[in-house]
Amino acid sequence: MFRPRILFLLVAAFAVLASSALAQEPPSHLGVVDYQLCDNFGGVTVTVVGDAGHNLAPYEFWKDDFAAMGINVEIVEVPFADVYQVLKTEFVAGSGAFDVVTFYPSYIGDFAGNGYLLPLDDFIARDPAAVWDPNMEDVLAPFRELYNRWANQTYALTIDGDVLVMMYRQDLFENEEERAAFQARYGRELRPPETWDEWLEVAEFFTRPAGATLAGETLTRPFYGTAEFGRRGFSYAWYLNRAASNGVILFDELMETDINSPAAVAALQNMIDTLQFAPPDVLNFGYDELRDAFIGGQLAMVVQWTDVPKKAADPSISQIVGKVGVGRVPGFVVDGEVAHRSMMPVGRVVGIAADTDVPEAAYCVAKHIAYNTSLENVSTSLTGLDPYRATHLTNPEAFAPLMGLENARAYLEGLQAALADGYPDLFIPGAAQYQDALDLQINRALAGEVSAQEALDAAAAAWNEITDRLGRETQISFWRQALESYRAVGLIR
Amino acid sequence: MFSSGVKQRQAAFFFALPALVLLLSVSIYPLLRTLGLAFSSLELTISPVETFVGLNNFAKAFGDMRFWNALRNTLILVTVGVAIQFVLGTVLAVLLSEIRFTRMIWLIALLLPVMIAPVVSGFQFRVIYNDTFGPLNYLIRALSGGAVAAPPWLADTRTALLTIMITDVWQWTPFMMLLMLAGLESIPVELTEAAQVDGAGYWDIFWRIKMPMLLPVIVIGLLIRVMDTFKTFDLVFLLTGGGPGSSTETIAYYTYLNGFRFFSMGYTAAIAFIQLIIIIVIARFFMIAQKRVRGGSA
Repeated sequence: MFRPRILFLLVAAFAVLASSALAQEPPSHLGVVDYQLCDNFGGVTVTVVGDAGHNLAPYEFWKDDFAAMGINVEIVEVPFADVYQVLKTEFVAGSGAFDVVTFYPSYIGDFAGNGYLLPLDDFIARDPAAVWDPNMEDVLAPFRELYNRWANQTYALTIDGDVLVMMYRQDLFENEEERAAFQARYGRELRPPETWDEWLEVAEFFTRPAGATLAGETLTRPFYGTAEFGRRGFSYAWYLNRAASNGVILFDELMETDINSPAAVAALQNMIDTLQFAPPDVLNFGYDELRDAFIGGQLAMVVQWTDVPKKAADPSISQIVGKVGVGRVPGFVVDGEVAHRSMMPVGRVVGIAADTDVPEAAYCVAKHIAYNTSLENVSTSLTGLDPYRATHLTNPEAFAPLMGLENARAYLEGLQAALADGYPDLFIPGAAQYQDALDLQINRALAGEVSAQEALDAAAAAWNEITDRLGRETQISFWRQALESYRAVGLIR
Repeated sequence: MFSSGVKQRQAAFFFALPALVLLLSVSIYPLLRTLGLAFSSLELTISPVETFVGLNNFAKAFGDMRFWNALRNTLILVTVGVAIQFVLGTVLAVLLSEIRFTRMIWLIALLLPVMIAPVVSGFQFRVIYNDTFGPLNYLIRALSGGAVAAPPWLADTRTALLTIMITDVWQWTPFMMLLMLAGLESIPVELTEAAQVDGAGYWDIFWRIKMPMLLPVIVIGLLIRVMDTFKTFDLVFLLTGGGPGSSTETIAYYTYLNGFRFFSMGYTAAIAFIQLIIIIVIARFFMIAQKRVRGGSA
């Protein structure tokens, strides 16, 4: 007896399994990068530490390559928030527990400055180049200068080029009904916001209750204009997107901060005003919640890390496949022009622990992930790693199986634009303390505990206290080194 | 030649020596080292060099609003949360003591939360409290037909600390229940039967016989839970990260931040010692209460 319902269920189940199987296929060598593997080390063990989850997947993808080099890679996974704590503790104790360390470049000043990492320049310069040279010129300047170098030496290789980009629901922005309604309400064309004031308007326009109509369809649940990273941890980065574009500088040459200036307060007030167009639990939104709300079709636009468009293109987890546009993070108008700034929080680099017993093998592992296989690692949805090399930007074909060639081109163009606006996270020693002090006060303002001015006054006071406690003169010298790097990539003049 | 008494004392000393060495190395030395650190500045972010700063770290703690806010949050969790655990635990223990045939089934079911690792229960409740996907707000909306606005539990400064307290109460009430049940079971049945013969009612027996006899157990149970709740860290770390704002930052979480995020070891040692002093004072208070209950003097 023919049972259409069962047949339908079987077909649907097959389709879901097939799509997820396609989406979950580990990458294979693309052959774009020319390299040679290191000579066989004869069975040494290299211990790699990194934040747990999908960003350690490349070590599994390329295990045959490591075996060919005679290297047994052992992985130690630590929680995302505990990377600094675990590494610092092991470094201070001198335990020699790790050979290759994955860390956020905010800590390069701390780790390299305290002698915990091996300088890599000698390895990089060895012959033959195909084995040893990670082609640093191919690494985009902000990552090469700010993420990899300290005191004029290379201490780390980038494996994840994090930068924040704006993503929006292209289908909604192109919908004729919505465009007409926006025009009638605001007297201008509906487009992805260029400025933070436009951001508020567009967010307000798209925020609708359940039962309202959106692009011709009745909503079964509320829809929101946007959301922010509202949870403690990185809310400061979403604030600094705004503050940096409004001309706020973190410190001057003498470590005096501008973080509570009128421009800074206006930037924070904009972020606070945005919350009324965000889901009610936005203050508990971290990376996961923010990503899921967007790819779950609950938001019109969001600022997020550059791996999210890849996740949005994965039909096994996304409800908005093929509907995502990528653009520059909005800015404030300064001196008659819109100044865009995209924060570059997190990111990942790999370094070699100074007390490793197997420095050469450790370097070969690091180089294989950071250069030889990097295009494969950043173009799969199985990792959260983002492009950071010119090679990645000029090979949209590598991303095409995931999101289609046109979308891949648009994604890489958006990413390139964001990188041009890139604004680095603090990376001098003590960065974690400065970030936490600012983040706490931003979060207090978002939660309504204090006003924007009070929050930023408190943050400025906390920053001064940290600088004095760590030693103002030392911090000034570190900051001047950082400013040199900023100048090298054209962030400041 | 030594007398047998001296030999016995020497033997006793050598038998105790391993335990003494262990105690000194894993407990006394770290304690003294931490005390030394509390009077020093050791900023591992910058340098491994330790410098003596006297009482500066303690002075800083007393002027640190974030420290006081964390202490306030902790004391709210300790006083309100443990009181709720005690009341609920007592009620459940009394109810269980009345059940004869299915008691074991109920007991196992009620004890399940204690057996779950706090990390797991933290994740569990993070999902439960989620405004969009969580079952709690779904039920509130469904049962009220949308008339009741379900709060964003973890994202509102008015409810975030409450969510941590509810999770802690869910997890540890069964522990209190178990202690109280053991106490109730140890009360000689002759006492209650004699009271019944004398015409005492249910509540008379509960308040005048059972509760006074349970007091030693209550004091120990409260002491354990107060000390444990004072160290609340995992739930804060998992559920709120100390936010929104500073509304759920506890003293243990703040100490963790200073120690393992900022590596400001001198200040961390100072606030750890302040906590230790507070806990010793609380423990002393409970021990005095315990002695009074047992009829001794403090």
